[in-house]
Amino acid sequence: MKTPVNYNGFEFQPVYEGSYASAYYNGELGMILCVATEEYIPIEDFKAIFMRMSEMLEEFPARHLVFDKRKLTTFHQPSMEWYFAVWKPQVKPKGLSSHYKLLPDADWFAKAVEAGKNEIYEKYGTAFLEGITVNYRDTLEDVIEELQVPAT
Amino acid sequence: MYVDAEYYKEQLQAKSEMMIMTTRFMMELQKELENKNRELSETHRNIFSSIRFAGMIQGSLLPDAALLGNTFRGAGYRVIQQIAIGGDSVFIKKAGSNIVFGLFDCTGHGIPAAMLSISGSLMLNELMTLMPGAEPAVIVKELNTRLFETFRNYSNSIAHMEGSLFCFSAETRKLSYCGAHAKGLHISNDGAVTELVSGNNAIGEEQESEFESLEFMYKPGETLVLYSDGLTDQFGGEHNKKFTRSRLKKVLAEHADEEAEVLCRTIEEAHREWKNANEQTDDVSFLVINF
Repeated sequence: MKTPVNYNGFEFQPVYEGSYASAYYNGELGMILCVATEEYIPIEDFKAIFMRMSEMLEEFPARHLVFDKRKLTTFHQPSMEWYFAVWKPQVKPKGLSSHYKLLPDADWFAKAVEAGKNEIYEKYGTAFLEGITVNYRDTLEDVIEELQVPAT
Repeated sequence: MYVDAEYYKEQLQAKSEMMIMTTRFMMELQKELENKNRELSETHRNIFSSIRFAGMIQGSLLPDAALLGNTFRGAGYRVIQQIAIGGDSVFIKKAGSNIVFGLFDCTGHGIPAAMLSISGSLMLNELMTLMPGAEPAVIVKELNTRLFETFRNYSNSIAHMEGSLFCFSAETRKLSYCGAHAKGLHISNDGAVTELVSGNNAIGEEQESEFESLEFMYKPGETLVLYSDGLTDQFGGEHNKKFTRSRLKKVLAEHADEEAEVLCRTIEEAHREWKNANEQTDDVSFLVINF
């Protein structure tokens, strides 16, 4: 298992290590950090990773999930569809309602994500996102800094 | 974990699908943009058609230069708004045997300037009726009050006019005027071109502005040219500079003997040549009177 990692003075404990992703947890922030470690995650492995995240919420309660996709160069649209329209609503009753994504630098990837989201909304509408926030940031540090600013 | 070959095969397949989906999305976006662009072009065409029509209406409200030509040796003017409609105007009104005339440049250009210009002209018309025979400065002072009170915005008016109002008495042959940041040039019989003396207060800018009536001394054979700063502020020429008053003076000196309407054409041509392919900088107007 990997060693803890530190961001903005917050220590993240490793809680999962797979072939395509690793996960870390910080209780103080109520955050799970899932980091893609390969360029592409096959769908069955993708589902397995996030079902494991779902199970971990019993032991590691979290309100925020940060999915660090910066290593990815390809995503699988059916995986995204499952992730958005099935998994996110599933974990919302367990308290996980705030999702952050860190995307690769490439403009084309962001455009592809936009295209993918558009297809999902056309297929499912947007009602499934009620009570769930999804935000895109450049770094984990940005996310942590944002969460530390008191809500007005 | 997948065997490497299968992993890369699946990755390639996913990448291909990702690209197809993105291309489809971009094409839909492009179609949407093209539709929006067509709608905007249509709206733009409609708006500009309205503006052109409004410009025609504004143009039809301008006075007949013949009113001045009947009193003086010759007269002519041009009003060339920047975008078909604008804030420059010429005012000519007979008051009994006397005649009142002027050239005015209102704040800004386009529709707001045109509305202000028309308001100003209507006010002037009314004042001519209410104050027949009044000195130019008295009329301008009253115009200042009315304009300020109509368009005031808290402590400072947002609308004002620059220009000059001349009153010619048929009986005394005296020509008096009031200049409010006015621009004018006097071509003497010896070909000298001198600047019109003018007060520095604009009309409608401040409630307490003072204005002064002056006598314009002229001799038969001489010419008066009133103009707005749109003429001298026009960018153009070889080095993209302003036309300037000195260049205008030079043009007038070279064409000092021309009849009013011919001189109008000369000035118009000089402005057009200077401007060349540049956008017109501001509303342009000038009024020429041969004494």
